[in-house]
Amino acid sequence: MFCKQVRRNAAKNRKGNGLFFGSLVIAIVAFYTLLSLGEQDVMRYLATIESDAVGKLMMMLPAVYAVSLFFVFFLVYFACKYQTDSRKREFGLYLMLGMKRSRLFFMLFAETLWSSLISLLTGIPIALFLTEGISLATAKIVGLGIIGHHFSFSPDAMLWTVCGFILVQLLSMLVICMNLVKAETAEFFRSGSEKKQAPLSGVRSTACFTLGTGLLIAAYYLGIFQMHSLRMAVMLAVIVCGILGTFLLYRGLGGFLGQYIRRKSPNAAGLKTFTARQVQENVLSQHKSLAISSLLLLMALSCISYGISMGFGRSGSRRSVDFSLFGTETEMNAVLEKNDIDEMVEDSYPLYLSAVKDGYDRDEEKAFDTGEFVKALRTVEDSDNIIENLHIEYVIGESSYNRILKNMGKEELKLADHETAIYTSMGNDGDFGSILTKAISGGISIGIDGVNYSIRPTLCMDNVVADRAITLYMALVVPDELFTKLASEPEAYCRNVNLKDEIVDNTGLMQAIQKMDAMLEDTGIEYDSYLGGIGRNLFYTVAASYLTIYLGVLFWLIANTVIGLKYLISQRQTKHRYETLTMLGADTPAMCRSVKKQIGIYFVLVLSTALVSSAAAIFTMFRSFTKLPVGTSVSTVALISAIALVIFAAVEIVYIGIVKRTASREVSRIEITNRR
Amino acid sequence: MNTQNQILQVESLSKIYGKGDNRTQALKGITFDVLEGEFLGIMGASGSGKTTLLNCIATMLKPTSGKIVLRGQDISGFHGGKLADYRGREIGYLFQEFELLDNLTARENITLPLALHGITAKQAEGDISALASMLDITAVLDKFPSQMSGGQKQRVAAARALISDPDIVLADEPTGALDSKNSKMLMDKLSSINIGQNKTIMMVTHDANAASYCSRILFIQDGYIFHELRRNRQAESTSAFYERIVTVMAQLGGGSANVL
Repeated sequence: MFCKQVRRNAAKNRKGNGLFFGSLVIAIVAFYTLLSLGEQDVMRYLATIESDAVGKLMMMLPAVYAVSLFFVFFLVYFACKYQTDSRKREFGLYLMLGMKRSRLFFMLFAETLWSSLISLLTGIPIALFLTEGISLATAKIVGLGIIGHHFSFSPDAMLWTVCGFILVQLLSMLVICMNLVKAETAEFFRSGSEKKQAPLSGVRSTACFTLGTGLLIAAYYLGIFQMHSLRMAVMLAVIVCGILGTFLLYRGLGGFLGQYIRRKSPNAAGLKTFTARQVQENVLSQHKSLAISSLLLLMALSCISYGISMGFGRSGSRRSVDFSLFGTETEMNAVLEKNDIDEMVEDSYPLYLSAVKDGYDRDEEKAFDTGEFVKALRTVEDSDNIIENLHIEYVIGESSYNRILKNMGKEELKLADHETAIYTSMGNDGDFGSILTKAISGGISIGIDGVNYSIRPTLCMDNVVADRAITLYMALVVPDELFTKLASEPEAYCRNVNLKDEIVDNTGLMQAIQKMDAMLEDTGIEYDSYLGGIGRNLFYTVAASYLTIYLGVLFWLIANTVIGLKYLISQRQTKHRYETLTMLGADTPAMCRSVKKQIGIYFVLVLSTALVSSAAAIFTMFRSFTKLPVGTSVSTVALISAIALVIFAAVEIVYIGIVKRTASREVSRIEITNRR
Repeated sequence: MNTQNQILQVESLSKIYGKGDNRTQALKGITFDVLEGEFLGIMGASGSGKTTLLNCIATMLKPTSGKIVLRGQDISGFHGGKLADYRGREIGYLFQEFELLDNLTARENITLPLALHGITAKQAEGDISALASMLDITAVLDKFPSQMSGGQKQRVAAARALISDPDIVLADEPTGALDSKNSKMLMDKLSSINIGQNKTIMMVTHDANAASYCSRILFIQDGYIFHELRRNRQAESTSAFYERIVTVMAQLGGGSANVL
């Protein structure tokens, strides 16, 4: 009998409240997605080449998991509270019929466990499906190809998901039951705790609102204009001003709305005043939840933007060289002539890269005359550091650089007489690339051995060797004759090898390089590979974008759930108002319209602050510590941002729609015939 | 009886709750008229059917059979916009627990029935001021219900019931949640509105004191009208009428234990 009742109640909860059940399933998906990170294709691959870094990331996961547990607790807590609030009368009845409180709570816990089980059975398959999707998508984005993909299931992740979820569920229930223990039996029969409309003093609310707005503007200003110095004090000031400003803004917003309503209500007809007062009441009584939700949304949007830009920025660099071989000419020829290796190679060529002969770099007389270059740099903002460290130590032969460009499908340099080009492999680090580009764009020249060479106004940045770990701060791409004259070692630095495109296309880059890797390994020759070089890079891409996007989505879900459920709880508590309205002549469609409008305004109040703050935060981010790589197409970035924004808006609209439907359904069910 | 003055006609009204073996007949074919300007009281024991009767007239319940005709229109056939109009314009309803919306000020509460029909507070400013001064609530017009006393709340509720100038005011135990001082004040105000403005009021009550302000009282028992008391306001004081009510209650019901 007891078990049957528990099952029946749990089923009723699920059917009657999709939001509740949905929140539970989301919690499960969130846990499993995070915990199964180690099983993702990209992570498995990275573990083979960067096991230390992956190991460190895996050690970080429990901390992220704990943070997730903390936030998911609120999601589940609000969902459970909404559910139990609507059943208070039923609980009161059980008590009046002689059920012991302990038995009632036991029943609630049993229902919770049963719901957990059903949610897990629904959530785990969704989570598996989602993680597989993410795994495939990430592999595709970072260029690993999907050939090596195989279905992954992580028993550990599953175990921790189940444990974490049940723990969070039971903990939420415990907190709710503790509140119920304190309640008098009569309280169970009240339709809801009637909130008193607090008459907030006009001066106080205006002061809060103004101060909040001021602090937020201060935070935006400090963030956008001062944050690039990355000083701790500035960062702290931005955080404190932002958080305090948001809380104060919502604290004062209720009073502000009240003044507005008072001004407008004499001319309002229909349910306008009622709608506005309902919104005001929610803002007054839930200003803390609104502020928290708004901040969560801000964190969500910032995390997602950061994640996308990290993934985008780092995966954006194109592969120029697949392998670089080191050794004598004979050794390398012997290796490349091997049948199986030869079959895979599209092109191989010597790379002429060398340090500048003694004297050219430092010697006063022979030294490069960079006077004009320095002068041009001085006209560019934030270039002091570059000017101080300006020295050209390396030269690259034009012919080998042209081969690189040709293999990448780019146009060759074709330097004219007395022309050189500036090369750097660090163009994507901070502002370095953009400052150099600005300096050379005006057309400058450099003196070498007393002769003036004009500098090509475009910066060369394509990697000259396979290993990305090898970086060149600044070098000159010079015609081959000049290279022979300037180079301290005029022989080839290494031999670059590019794999055949059809092999890469057919088997996937990862497979092709791994195959070649194995063959080169057998020959004993010294070499670097593209994938080995970008291993660390890839790791940062995946770890940073994956974790931040994950946290972003989690914050986003929780913020929405908090706003939605808080509204629905308060509507249920003030249900009798709709009964009174019906008696006063309001029809159901008008009340449903009012409810929908209330929800719309309520969400807009949270979203608007979050969006403005996010715009400032994202702007700050790209101005100070996250830079998009130079050469990244603005239209691509704009397109990705637009897609992300459209997805965000679409999800919000769908979610708001669900809340509106739920609330309207409740209002439509109101029957005044139930009154005595 | 002067049929020209009839504002409400209730004919053979019956209401059955439940189905099959669980049927309970709350009203068993009640017939009566309410004249314009009358202050009609409905009294009876718990479960006698008096609230069911009031709720049928207020369209909160649908009668099983019979007719309710207000100013020549059968209200049992109303639904949708016509029903909302009837509730908002034709009747004013005074609840025992006031039922003010606690997040609206007194002024906003009072103008709500008008706003629902497209009339703004500004347009009705004159009516609001007149009603507020009549009911002595001018000082609380811009306050929220939580800042008012119970008596003030019920008088604000009365102003809300009267603002749309309804044909009839239905009051369900309006003094039920008030102390004797506030009850008396409310009944004095309702009585003066009834006499001064010729407003028709129909009130369900347990309270003999409140009932003594009425011009006629119908006693209901087990779904039937079983007694009627009339009062000649010019000739009989409220205290004398009160004595008669109490006597009838004692004689007919065998004491308050049965009647109340």
